[in-house]
Amino acid sequence: MVPTVNGAPRKPLDDTEVLERLPSRAGDASSRELAAMRAAMTSAAGNPAPAAELAQRYFDLAMARGDPRYVGYAEAVVARFPDPLPASLRLIRGLLRQYRHDFEGALGDFAAALAQDPGLAAAHAWRGAIYLVQADYPAAQGECDALRRLGRSTLVGACLGLVQAYGGQLETGNRTLQQALANTTDPGSRLWLLTRLGEVAAWRGQAEQAERHYREALATGVEDGYLLAAWGDFLLDSGRPAEVLKQLAGWEASDSLLLRLAEAEAALKLPGAARLAKMLDDRFAAARQRGDTTHRAEEARYQLRLRGDAWYALRLAAENYKVQREPRDARILLEAAIAAGDPAAAQAARDWLGKSGFEDARLRRLGQESALAVRR
Amino acid sequence: MKLRRWLFSILLLLSLPVLAHKASDSYLVLDIKGREVSGQWDIALRDIDFALGLDRDGNGEITWGELSARHGDIAAWALGSLSVRRGGDCKLEVADHLVDSHTDGAYAVLRLAGSCPAGGGDLQLDYRLLFDLDALHRGLLRLGLDGTTQTAVLSPQRAQQKFAAGEVSRLEQFGQYLVEGIWHIWIGFDHILFLLSLLLPAVLVHEARRWRGVADFHQALVEVLWVVTAFTVAHSITLSLAALGLISLPSRLVESAIAASVVLAAANNLKPLVEHRRWMVAFGFGLIHGFGFASVLAELGLPQETLVMSLLGFNLGVEIGQLAIVAAFLPVAYALRATLFYRRVVFVGGSLATLTIALIWFVERAFDLKLISA
Repeated sequence: MVPTVNGAPRKPLDDTEVLERLPSRAGDASSRELAAMRAAMTSAAGNPAPAAELAQRYFDLAMARGDPRYVGYAEAVVARFPDPLPASLRLIRGLLRQYRHDFEGALGDFAAALAQDPGLAAAHAWRGAIYLVQADYPAAQGECDALRRLGRSTLVGACLGLVQAYGGQLETGNRTLQQALANTTDPGSRLWLLTRLGEVAAWRGQAEQAERHYREALATGVEDGYLLAAWGDFLLDSGRPAEVLKQLAGWEASDSLLLRLAEAEAALKLPGAARLAKMLDDRFAAARQRGDTTHRAEEARYQLRLRGDAWYALRLAAENYKVQREPRDARILLEAAIAAGDPAAAQAARDWLGKSGFEDARLRRLGQESALAVRR
Repeated sequence: MKLRRWLFSILLLLSLPVLAHKASDSYLVLDIKGREVSGQWDIALRDIDFALGLDRDGNGEITWGELSARHGDIAAWALGSLSVRRGGDCKLEVADHLVDSHTDGAYAVLRLAGSCPAGGGDLQLDYRLLFDLDALHRGLLRLGLDGTTQTAVLSPQRAQQKFAAGEVSRLEQFGQYLVEGIWHIWIGFDHILFLLSLLLPAVLVHEARRWRGVADFHQALVEVLWVVTAFTVAHSITLSLAALGLISLPSRLVESAIAASVVLAAANNLKPLVEHRRWMVAFGFGLIHGFGFASVLAELGLPQETLVMSLLGFNLGVEIGQLAIVAAFLPVAYALRATLFYRRVVFVGGSLATLTIALIWFVERAFDLKLISA
């Protein structure tokens, strides 16, 4: 990463040589809009409303394009205002903190924002999402209830459906999400619900149903990294790596999708697999250099499945599980522990399986296999 | 705000840690010798465009022409957000403008040159590039200060940092890895057992299918020196190759091979195949053990920029730990060499015990079982 080690600085000879392509043209609609919003923020010094709008816009862009620079832009906008922040900016700061996995800080911001503005449904939705990641389902349920009191029916369905699914009631969760889907026409909401329905169906072992949901989600035409990752995982789990390559072609810029591409190439024993693995390696190295620890779950998967280093994968997965405890986090922890011959290290994931009653057959099998190994 | 946005937002939280591309980093290399400053600063074109606007014709592409037209502005902007102090403000200038590419795109490369008021003492750095626009921006600094290399991540929270001059920090880092090396050989029973298996016969000679004690200390010492040196040279080679990222092997393979090496070394004592050239065995298997040391080093997280120094420290630590074992072992073994106790209990019994333990390790590691260890 350090320029004098790897780099070869040069001086181009031709003035017309294109060095870089920007993510958006200066003249296109979104950058015109962003420029106008920035100008509005600058001219309204001290007024938080345009700043909150711009920061939210940056954050949405970061998510849609999978580009963390926009997160930094949003954070810089929020940082222009001194504490105590107004509710709107406080909410966004919480959102940015959860992005960095500072869940405690984020919960503090959401609580403070709600104290200032009890009708802030978004703060409840985000808190629910954080509690879900932390596997604190009673607390998440509390947020769903709060959303219900605020009358946000689609949000309630999304929130509740996941609490049920993660908490050991896949079928009920499925129904709740289906109901929410039937009641909304918004493409973004539909995409989200269909994606989660696909995951739920896959956990229930209903591969055809899952595929129908994913395909319907893809048909909304909204580009979405999470959907593509979930669909890619489904295809990999179903032994269909060739389709992953087709579906995710050209998405190397996203680390999550690059991981799926690399796994697919490796499964097909294609010569390009090594190149993709090297790219991933570079990305993880770059993140480490910044002191960034938010991708440990993905790095664990990379180490386990592509490098075959189960022990290192286990260390990463265990570190990750201290912070994030979603089904996929439990899965990589169990897989790495079994592969490393250290099933005791996955006790936390087995505890979660036991306590939540999560019903995915694959995870339950991994849990049992590792539990047996511990007893032996 | 619309409902969709909230929903979209939840989706994102639950989604994978989307990082795609990469957050913004600049790479700042400064080399300061006395008063004289030289260095290089790589800043992403995207970042410069966001701060200053480079895409003059608005076609979404940045050409060398567009970039070079703004070299003056870029130099002023960059140098205006960096101050280096050694006995006062150091005067910096951009000596040359180049370009380079990193994993996430094209970068402007600013070659820096300058001088400081004082030729010694601590160095203070204040870095503010892009922080007002991008709070996730980081400056990744590699600083050479009078020949010692240090690294730091510059962030809005740690924008001002002070670096001590002189040997202290380099020595400290070196010492830290040295201690880690010693510690590792002491807790790494597989390495100790391997070494002991090769050393046990050093005070004996095998003649007419019987073992007897060597005639003089010199003979034993020479044998030990050969074995230890060969082991050291071999594992230094692979440790360095692995730590520098030139070779990498899956840890399961390495750990299994290490266990196998202990098995073979112990077995060779019980039924000698290799008698006179034990140093060759030490060398061959030492290559494998080096990979084992490397995985420990990887766990410690070797600082990329002081790689060689830390590697040297770690390696030296391993040698010191090893020599301590030899120093404790050799006089005792030499004193006892002629006794039946040494030949039967220590040599045969010890080798048998070692063989058993190493066999269990091997089976555990190669077949992923848990037999003895918890």
